Amino acid sequence: MTEHVTQPSGVILASYPERNGRPGVVYRNAGDSFLLVEFGEMVFDLTMSFRVLGLDDAIKRNRPAGLIETIPALRSILINYDSRQISPRDLIDFVEDQYEHLPPFENLVVPSRIVELPIAFDDKWTREAIARYVQYQRADAPNVIDGTNSKYAAMYNGLRDEEEFFSYIMATDWWNAALGFFPGLPFAYPLDPRYAVVLPKYNPTRHWTPAGTVGIAGPCLAIYPVESAGGYQIFGHTVPIYDPQQRNPAFRESPVLLRPGDRLRFRPRVSDEELEAMIQAVYDGTYQYVIDETATFDVGAYLRFLKEVEPEAEAFRRRQADAAARVPVP
Amino acid sequence: MLEVRNGGFETTVQDYPGRIGMLSLGFAPAGPMDDYAFRFANVLVGNPPGAAGLEITAGGLVVAFQDERAIAVCGADMGARLNGQPIELWRSYLVRAGDVLEFDYLQGPGFRTYLAVSGGIDVPPVLGSRATYLPGAIGGLEGRKLHAGDRLPLGEPTVDPAQAAGRRVPQSLVPTYAGYNEVWELEATRGPQADPDYMTAEDMAFFFSHQWKLDAASNRTGYRLDIHKWQWARESGGAGGGHPSNILDNGYPVGAVNVCGDQPIILCIDGPTLGGFICNAVVAKAAMWKLGQMVPGWSYIRFKEVTLEEAIALLKRQDETIHESNLERS
Repeated sequence: MTEHVTQPSGVILASYPERNGRPGVVYRNAGDSFLLVEFGEMVFDLTMSFRVLGLDDAIKRNRPAGLIETIPALRSILINYDSRQISPRDLIDFVEDQYEHLPPFENLVVPSRIVELPIAFDDKWTREAIARYVQYQRADAPNVIDGTNSKYAAMYNGLRDEEEFFSYIMATDWWNAALGFFPGLPFAYPLDPRYAVVLPKYNPTRHWTPAGTVGIAGPCLAIYPVESAGGYQIFGHTVPIYDPQQRNPAFRESPVLLRPGDRLRFRPRVSDEELEAMIQAVYDGTYQYVIDETATFDVGAYLRFLKEVEPEAEAFRRRQADAAARVPVP
Repeated sequence: MLEVRNGGFETTVQDYPGRIGMLSLGFAPAGPMDDYAFRFANVLVGNPPGAAGLEITAGGLVVAFQDERAIAVCGADMGARLNGQPIELWRSYLVRAGDVLEFDYLQGPGFRTYLAVSGGIDVPPVLGSRATYLPGAIGGLEGRKLHAGDRLPLGEPTVDPAQAAGRRVPQSLVPTYAGYNEVWELEATRGPQADPDYMTAEDMAFFFSHQWKLDAASNRTGYRLDIHKWQWARESGGAGGGHPSNILDNGYPVGAVNVCGDQPIILCIDGPTLGGFICNAVVAKAAMWKLGQMVPGWSYIRFKEVTLEEAIALLKRQDETIHESNLERS
């Protein structure tokens, strides 16, 4: 194992090159209480998330004194530690040791719940948020067509119409690589590259988004857990994923519904009225979230799947690129 | 029981170090913005340094006591009066049933002050902490700031209040606050995305020499600094987005300086936990308290670069300072 400290600025505390097919690791200084562990290059590669969550799990299972908590993300883990109890050097050595002993990536089978969420498309809440945006923020936004973002989303991805766009959202499972920014907000990525839509962000960002709104920017899908500003293109609404009052059994242990490594699946498609009744039932405590608690995710099987569907995925990416080139960016 | 007669501008229940272990679900730790004053106030009344107390921002709080307690007020001068008589900051007093403590508004430098009561505020812990986290509407009293008519339960003191009263923090350990339009020196290390990979050495030299104005639109989630045209080390953010301040989302250290486009924002203790902008510096944990006493719209900041080792040493020294053995009998 060759280590090289590369920078006089002191930002990189240690770095290790790629070895045995495992991506290289860079340890970045993040102050006296945090350490950023970064893997590979800055490219969008969902499979990196499996390694990250595998390592994150190992770190937590074998946690040394002084390790407080971790924040896994798509290609990194931010570690919160007590530098009075463990030195940065010892922490780096600990993580390296865990990384060394991580089972081969292709053999990883990670716990991954399947969470089914009902969805209403181009619902009244989303339309209201977009109407406010047009009225108070930007009247000529190219991403707003007929009071929605979904027609624009279809055009941008080379799809026939908003209905085809909606069918793509429902056709793939969404891998929740991380939670954050706001409490319980998932950063979810499409597992089936044949349906991996991409969208640019709002410009300027929206002042108001209702809680429960579903949106996409870049390849990433988010659900807004609380009423907030937002920059994602929005097209749907689902049941609450955050309840600080913990009124439903699904929130008994935590006010946050989702976890890193969950798979989200949007079904069934419902009307505004049906969704409204479901939301009410969540707060009454009678709504039953559909969650497969014991599901696992087999990385090897997924890699084989990716290989199988690659020609179709590549065809879709070409179609997207052609379409996006003809559509104005906000 | 502590009876709130006026909640003031923004008063919240906080404990230290706040809600730990929830960063990966999107919960910032919350807690006191000035943990130095907060912890000393607790030590003065015989509480553990992290016991729940009140954070009073800008002033206006009026409370009445219903039994015998030791109290201490540490932080900014808000002209506190006990039954109409001025009391000193950084000193413990004995109060009895019926006594009324009133805060005026800011009398001089500083922005927040802390009230510790022996026994601590005994609101129910939420997810392991009593700290109020306003963006998530949890903790403290119903996840919100205090209003007239609120009644706060108090815990059982572990030390005789009469014994805890009549002590003071020696003058040498009472910090001086930079006044309006004066400059705070804020210790910080370079962050995970500083030079040379993300910013240029010139960008960082500017960062550590400029007098940054603290924007009026600053609060417990973030402290906005002035806009600056950075050179940047990259042409674009690559897979993270179009702008060179963009990265693939990763965890944010508490106290990081998060550069969003042209604007640096210091992420405070209620700040976002994860996102897609670079962090070029991280405020030393031992210096975080200073943020609590800066006045949005008035204060200036100059970042003083410290090494990781120096930041850790500052932290150890601060722990030794905030200790009962350093108090004086008054």
